[in-house]
Amino acid sequence: MDYKIQDIEKSFEGKITENLGNNEYLIKINDNEHRLTILNMTSKGIEFILDQKYHRAKYLEQSTNEMNLVIDNVPITLNIHTHFDEVVYKKTGGGGTVDSQLSLKSQIPGKVVSIAVQEGDSVKKGDVVCTLESMKMQVAIKAHKDGSIKSIKIKDGGTVAKGDAVAEIE
Amino acid sequence: MIEKVLIANRGEIALRVIRTCKTLGIKTVAVYSDEDRNSLHVKQATEAYHIGEASPAKSYLNQEKILEVMLSSGADAVHPGYGFLSENDDFARLCEKNKINFIGPSADSMDLCGDKMKCKAAMLKAEVPTVPGSPGLVKDADDAEKISNEIGYPVMLKSVYGGGGRGIRIVTNDKELREGFESVTGESIAAVGKSAIIVEKFLEKTRHIEYQMARDTHGNTVHIFERECSIQRRNQKLIEQTPSPAVNDEIRARIGEIVCRAADAVDYTNLGTAEFLRADNGEFYFIEINARLQVEHPITELVSGLDLVKLQIDIANGESIPFKQNDLKMNGYAIECRINAEDTFLEFAPSTGPVPDVTIPAGPSVRCDTYLYSGCTVSPFYDSLMAKLCTWGQTFEESRTRMLSALNDFYIQGVETSIPLYKTILNSDEYKNGELSTDFLKRYDMIERLAKDLKKEKEEKSEAALAAAIIHSEYFKSRIQNRTSNNSNWKNKLD
Amino acid sequence: MLTLETKMHSEKIEGFSKRKKTSLQAGGQDRIKAQHDKGKLTARERIDLLLDEGTFTEIDPLTTHHYHEYDMQKKKFFTDGVVGGYGTVNGRQIFVFAYDFTVLGGTLSKMGAKKITKLMDHALTTGSPIIGIMDSGGARIQEGIMSLDGFADIFYYNQLASGVIPQITASLGPSAGGAVYSPAMTDFVIMVDKIGTMFVTGPDVVKTVLGEEVSFEDLGGAMTHGSKSGVAHFVAQNEYECMDYIKKLLSYLPQNNTEEPPKTTTDDDPNRLDHNLINIIPENPVQPYEMKEIINSIVDNGEFFEVHELFAPNIIVGYGRMNGRVVGFIANNPMYLAGALDIDSSNKAARFIRFCDAFNIPLVTLVDTPGYMPGSNQEHNGIIRHGSKLLYAYCEATVPRITLVIGKAYGGAYIAMGSKNLRTDINYAWPTARCAVLGGEAAVKIMYRKDLQDAKDPESLKKQLIDEFAEKFENPYVAASHGTVDNVIDPAETRPMLIKALDMLENKRAKHLPRKHGNINL
Repeated sequence: MDYKIQDIEKSFEGKITENLGNNEYLIKINDNEHRLTILNMTSKGIEFILDQKYHRAKYLEQSTNEMNLVIDNVPITLNIHTHFDEVVYKKTGGGGTVDSQLSLKSQIPGKVVSIAVQEGDSVKKGDVVCTLESMKMQVAIKAHKDGSIKSIKIKDGGTVAKGDAVAEIE
Repeated sequence: MIEKVLIANRGEIALRVIRTCKTLGIKTVAVYSDEDRNSLHVKQATEAYHIGEASPAKSYLNQEKILEVMLSSGADAVHPGYGFLSENDDFARLCEKNKINFIGPSADSMDLCGDKMKCKAAMLKAEVPTVPGSPGLVKDADDAEKISNEIGYPVMLKSVYGGGGRGIRIVTNDKELREGFESVTGESIAAVGKSAIIVEKFLEKTRHIEYQMARDTHGNTVHIFERECSIQRRNQKLIEQTPSPAVNDEIRARIGEIVCRAADAVDYTNLGTAEFLRADNGEFYFIEINARLQVEHPITELVSGLDLVKLQIDIANGESIPFKQNDLKMNGYAIECRINAEDTFLEFAPSTGPVPDVTIPAGPSVRCDTYLYSGCTVSPFYDSLMAKLCTWGQTFEESRTRMLSALNDFYIQGVETSIPLYKTILNSDEYKNGELSTDFLKRYDMIERLAKDLKKEKEEKSEAALAAAIIHSEYFKSRIQNRTSNNSNWKNKLD
Repeated sequence: MLTLETKMHSEKIEGFSKRKKTSLQAGGQDRIKAQHDKGKLTARERIDLLLDEGTFTEIDPLTTHHYHEYDMQKKKFFTDGVVGGYGTVNGRQIFVFAYDFTVLGGTLSKMGAKKITKLMDHALTTGSPIIGIMDSGGARIQEGIMSLDGFADIFYYNQLASGVIPQITASLGPSAGGAVYSPAMTDFVIMVDKIGTMFVTGPDVVKTVLGEEVSFEDLGGAMTHGSKSGVAHFVAQNEYECMDYIKKLLSYLPQNNTEEPPKTTTDDDPNRLDHNLINIIPENPVQPYEMKEIINSIVDNGEFFEVHELFAPNIIVGYGRMNGRVVGFIANNPMYLAGALDIDSSNKAARFIRFCDAFNIPLVTLVDTPGYMPGSNQEHNGIIRHGSKLLYAYCEATVPRITLVIGKAYGGAYIAMGSKNLRTDINYAWPTARCAVLGGEAAVKIMYRKDLQDAKDPESLKKQLIDEFAEKFENPYVAASHGTVDNVIDPAETRPMLIKALDMLENKRAKHLPRKHGNINL
């Protein structure tokens, strides 16, 4: 199937070409074949040898088209099934890139100290939408794209969890 | 003689104090809030008392509650750590009144140091050079604007009662001054309940160099060398090192003598730190005295061989400092990296939550002071400092490479950390050459370089990541062969 | 693996390989391209996305129709419009069938129905969930009545399976006419915005018969069914998200009705107190607040999976875990209609309760409702009938039931939201709870009508009487004194108290007298 690694503009095609038995496999990444030996595998992680080099990976949360793992202490997010992306995003648009999302999500948890915009206001990417307080520091949540505020999802003094939508910008 | 110390703090500094007390055979009393029930400092102290809810105001800043514990536990001394009540002269007085030995300066000298205006006046009298600025507190934004225009932009707005980098704004024109004045006032009130602002000239391309000072109750004053803490963001230190590349033996002795004069001028007792800004032309300007043990004290310990917490306790016991200035010799080079739970790319926004797995680096001349353990939680209620990673080397290069290797070994799962940023900084030519300044991050585009480094790291790991993803499906296929799910409830139901 | 190098039976092997390849092509490359151009994945692609990789075993890939009327013999395709089989989702066995739009528009034939019912039969006998992916033009006209009979077979199995195994439908294309009834009979429906549509009669016929002009989306699109009709429990933004919803939903459900829902371990302390909970309720009783904030605080790790989010927002239903155990939550939402109960919310909650009851999922109800919505609109549309469903559903449920009264609980709504005498197992109340027949103002107006009429200063008398009423009745203590509330609890302790109750009730066993089935007012 097709894969994409986030933050790196490259696509990869990968599959298992042969199961050699005894936990050894031949896999193909793009046009290169590699030998992989599984040392230890659970649903949470895997230790393996790829072309004579040892690696350790932890599988973090996963959704249908995104796999999060930590490989040798480096966190990497992969998009999987990417050969379907063109079809799946055709009608609903965007997906993948944060910019085209409707919701502006908060990257941190915190308490709402101030809301800088109102519904209907037009904003540019980078404009401050609201300010949250966490760990005694105030952090501004900025618009992720140009547009106008469709709705505000938070209220003054309320608490926001990581990943919560603070506003919708269209 | 102190026999039982209550540590009015938490996290790694509480552990630090407990460790020294243990070696001295002193009993320890830990206090903890709801959040910290499972903390290491609670588990390692001789006794532990619950003092309140998570929010600092209800626990670690709750003087009445802490006093209650001091009296009921029979503690005869209190170590305030850093932050929280460590520079609160009311608390120091409360301890004095209740005959509890406050391991730190006297309440009066703490008050003097904490009041930046009074302190500045004392320094001027002792002929310690200070930064140009407002003669006293500014009355309001208008006053601040007038003074700023007099001494010339850029200026720094500073909350007199701030500390640890909070309550500070740098502004370059009248408009920014107005905005900055408001937020500094707000932060000051939020942190300590009162507002008082001074204006100081902001010097560009400065180096933050501070001196460890110690003074006992018999009037003996020494300095235990300098530390360079120039690499900061939002006026909070990230990396500290000693000796400073900008200080040679002559300068060390000359400024050291000024430090001792400063300590005498405020009749300081116990350990403290005199902070200076070194301008680009080599001039040193006194900023303030931090009347407490500093976060970065470990690097001083590494190059001096001293246990500074022990020194604090000895001085609090009324003993004389057991060495003279000439006895102290600097040995080697030490670096400390403050490992914070922050997302570098979100302007260092705090990252909190459970830490299911952590690997703490170790090895020769690698020291890590931390409260982390696998399964702990980084709380949103407290500071983002998780660990202090320190290394020592015979040469600067040795301590630097040792630090890089230690950073590589340090794995913290579950929160974003500043570790990748430090790797980028320590690998940079500018750092290697000692070209430090307080605007280091911005001046040398460190964040952009970090992004590039991370991308490169991901590229290097991409093949292995793909292999891990491709082989992931094998797990489920293999499970079909080993399926053990057997629901005899379903299968063998007889009705 | 068979290769062409195998010498024996080479002709037969070749014939086998060819058929296998053709089956995978379904309706042919052109039709596959057309499907992709519409922004839709093919049936096999969807099954690939849903199941754990490499676990799909297909059943009946070589079926074809056997029709000869209307030149149908020229249009024979393997799988005949439905692809199905079994596999695992996160390691758990499920059965799945997907209508294949590339084959004759995904229309249902006798063989297609046969395949679906075969799979449903397997799911029933093995006690595994079954998932249906809709993308069909409806009945195959050429097959006439046989196609309709096929649908009837499917509906029959839907009924057989109802309450025995979880049935989930994903709407990833059209389903019209009779076809929509199968999804309606299943337990959960997920529709993908701008891709899935469901209606009994399409816009063309609607225009012809009624002259009403309405678009596909407005008539039966995902948002319409998600928010207006309540047919769709989830609205996904794209096919990836749809599969994510299904997988997430399955993680809360048991394989079948003889199993407990899957229990996990959690590091969220079951004794975690939250002193902030009491601050979520405003002092002013007419001010709304977010009930979801309370739910987020008490569930493990703040994870609450809301079901039917866009429909009847005045009541919240969904799944959460408490100390690793799956719990079904029902809560009034003061942000909409002040949390009043009405037709839609009664239906939404009643169906949710009955599903949880069928599948051994305990129920926790959080109450803050001023009563049922008044008005001729509600009355004429049968609030009496629909409201009774909620009462019936609660009474019928034998799973552990816990109710926590947070704010108002007046009149019929007090009874309906899991009150003690509906044989709820544990009833708790916060100190802010107010259990009464009516709110103070309304009650005083009725009870003291004469006194108020005769009074010299009716306004101050009214205020005095309201205050007295409030002290007497607008609190949980009267209820507590009668044991109709088991205890008034400290809001900070809500999570540990609920978990303790759930632990205590874990082995609850209750049964009703045998009867064919009750007569819930449908």
